[in-house]
Amino acid sequence: MKIIEVDAYYLPKDLGDQVKDFRTEVVEDEGVAIRLKIPTVDKILIENLFGYLKKSRQIYLSRLPIKRIINILDEASRKWLDRSYPYRELALKTIPVITGFSREVVEASIDAEMESSLGEDMWRALCSEIKNPLYLDDFQYSPELKGYTRAYGPEAIVSIFTQNIPALPHLSFMRSALLKAACLGKGATGEPTFAPLYLKTIEEIDPEMAKCMAVLYWRGGEEEIETAVFRQADAVILFGGIETCASLLEKIPRKVKALVHGHKLGFGVIGRGRLNRQGLEDLAQAVAQDCSMFDQQACLAPHVYYLEEKGKVSPKEFCEALAKAMEAIHVKMPRGKISSGEASAIHQLRGRYELRELKGEDVLLLTSRHGTDWTVVYEKNPGTFSPSPLNRFIRVYGVEDIFQILPILESIGPFLQNAAVAIGDEREMEFIKRLGELGVARITSPGKMSVPTMMWHHDGISPLASLLRWCDIEKKDEIGGI
Amino acid sequence: MMKELPEEVLSLDEKIIGFIRKGLDHQDSEAFNELALQVFDLQFKYIPVYRRYCEKRGVTPEKISSWDQIPPLSTDVFKVMEISMLPSHTVRTFMTSGTARPEEKGKVGYDEGGLRLMDVTIHEAASTFLFPDKVKTTLLIIAPSPEMVPQMIMAYGMNRLREYFGLPESRFLVGKEGFEVKVLIDELRRSEKGGIPVTICGGSFGFVNFFDHCREKKLRFELPPGSRTLDAGGFKGRSREVKREEFVSDCEAVLGIKKEYCINLLGMTEISSQFYDNTLESFLKGLNLPRAKVNPPWTRTQVVDPDTLEPLPPGKIGVLRHFDLANRGHIAAIQTDDLGRLASEGFEVFGRSKEGEARGCSLTIDEMTHIKKES
Repeated sequence: MKIIEVDAYYLPKDLGDQVKDFRTEVVEDEGVAIRLKIPTVDKILIENLFGYLKKSRQIYLSRLPIKRIINILDEASRKWLDRSYPYRELALKTIPVITGFSREVVEASIDAEMESSLGEDMWRALCSEIKNPLYLDDFQYSPELKGYTRAYGPEAIVSIFTQNIPALPHLSFMRSALLKAACLGKGATGEPTFAPLYLKTIEEIDPEMAKCMAVLYWRGGEEEIETAVFRQADAVILFGGIETCASLLEKIPRKVKALVHGHKLGFGVIGRGRLNRQGLEDLAQAVAQDCSMFDQQACLAPHVYYLEEKGKVSPKEFCEALAKAMEAIHVKMPRGKISSGEASAIHQLRGRYELRELKGEDVLLLTSRHGTDWTVVYEKNPGTFSPSPLNRFIRVYGVEDIFQILPILESIGPFLQNAAVAIGDEREMEFIKRLGELGVARITSPGKMSVPTMMWHHDGISPLASLLRWCDIEKKDEIGGI
Repeated sequence: MMKELPEEVLSLDEKIIGFIRKGLDHQDSEAFNELALQVFDLQFKYIPVYRRYCEKRGVTPEKISSWDQIPPLSTDVFKVMEISMLPSHTVRTFMTSGTARPEEKGKVGYDEGGLRLMDVTIHEAASTFLFPDKVKTTLLIIAPSPEMVPQMIMAYGMNRLREYFGLPESRFLVGKEGFEVKVLIDELRRSEKGGIPVTICGGSFGFVNFFDHCREKKLRFELPPGSRTLDAGGFKGRSREVKREEFVSDCEAVLGIKKEYCINLLGMTEISSQFYDNTLESFLKGLNLPRAKVNPPWTRTQVVDPDTLEPLPPGKIGVLRHFDLANRGHIAAIQTDDLGRLASEGFEVFGRSKEGEARGCSLTIDEMTHIKKES
């Protein structure tokens, strides 16, 4: 048995002696044992930690020019994109064992996350949300205001991670740093190793900045710790299921700003104008990519692809091409291991579709040759939105007219997030307008569902601007301005 | 007047009934296999969609020689279509409870012969596992009567137990107004006084509600020797899960019934036979075997890998697949989504396999179901 020891936490070095004791959790899979070192968290540790983080932030990060911050974060992303970077190597050893994702899926996830987190992306994200990133450094002239203005980030942000999507927790640390805020992340049980490694990268590049960041783990619902944490925070970023978010929100004091990223649904839409022989393989490959990234477990992934009938290629024919593409991706980037319940759910659902197909209904079931690796189902739009059991199970619904799906989407409006849209004719803009009205937060092309940019208004909110406080100088020049 | 079942069906039913009536100690693998193949032969012949399903897998009656080569259908299939060997002969349709997703109830149609097969299994299995001591008891059934819920297979089965084994005072205790707790309490007091043992039976969760009630009201019973409990259904889809140890210790604390007399039953709408715990039978035989569900000789249970569906060896956890000769009227081989494992005495069942908690950040089917229920 190969044993890998890894920290499921990150604390600034000066606080090393604050932790009274550690426990070890072991996760094993196929001859590899990951020993997770987890510090015992108590109220005193939380209070001391926040004192330290806030002080470090005050004397260093709050005074660091935004360009320098971006350079540090950019360097961190580039290190993670380097295939020989030791922490990346380590993450590729630990995350597959802990999550069940294949190494290839984890690699693709790290690449996707880090490629969209480069310096230019961060600069543009700030420009998009606050126009001039230099507002974060000092008062700057605002032509609209015809005066000077400055933005202040929170002192300390707490981010609660609950999901296992590899490499995603870095977003909260990156956003906090861009806001010049200290940040404590609560590690996810599902994948606690990436965030500590990411902070070690920050420490390599700028040890002073790393003193403003930490990752700890405690069991969700531990009242005393959560109360202490939320009392110290100015802002909270929550990732999690509907129930988890709702119960956490109850504990967050009203003065603390909270950004909630609850579980969401994605879908795709392809109009008849885009269903041609030419480009069929590419389109199928793009859709397969959307369904396979993160093994479909990210909120960005589609549950359903709606295809319009009467194109040159029928939705059913498209499914045949999609099945080939799903298999090709599975060979390159295998689906990870899934639980008994998940596998059983896929078999049960396949059983239903297979029998309906055999009974002569207008249904097509295409599956991986072995196990539950991937599943493509075609049926005529049943008029309801059925969530996928995920893990590369995609339903393709045939619709006569793409606008017919709008009432169905309306019923799940609050959960809509990401949509791939390719209508291929003049109706596209009208259709997109309607999706926007229904609550969709991102519209992209097939194949790009899993790679939003840093500029995206994540879940429909401005993740940076929402947490800022502004000070405007509205003094008139003639009375004696700056 | 419904026409008679085809001759070949009637004659097969006779053979199966003969096999079942030989009882629980009659192990004859060869005869079982022979009957299983005959059942498959007829289901293949009469159910076109199943025939196509088997043919797609390269399986025809001529090509197989063993029951475990018969292709199983998933329980979920019954949610999207009615699959019966002789749909025009269906006299009774049972529906799954749909606790997990109320909008999706599975339906299983039974013909006269199928009901008769079920009746025989109920009699034989209960004789061995519920009343091996042949004690006559009053059946107090925490379930609605079949007249109230004709589609509930548990009500049907409990009613048969009442007819076959119950004293005349036996009765159902869930009426139009719900669970008649007061009546149950009165009956239990009467049993205490009169010394006539009772069999309390019903859904597992009904018991838990009753225990909660008794604790609240500080009620305790000392039921006469020979009293017993039969609980079915487990706790799937319930907000509160109760461990078996807790359940049996409550039976003792509240009812004065020893743990060996607490018998759990796995029954499913899709399976005509019932799988009882060996607890009482083993205790009375002085064997002290570990608790397990026992396969009556006319059934088989396999545990298969949840992903590849390949059979797993004893001890390994997977999903359960049952084969039941008494399922002649629909599909004999059924793939469930219950997790369990084979044990030396039979098998263990751990309940329905959940789709798993959300691992990523996508909305899950369970969350979606929850939302639909609330709105």
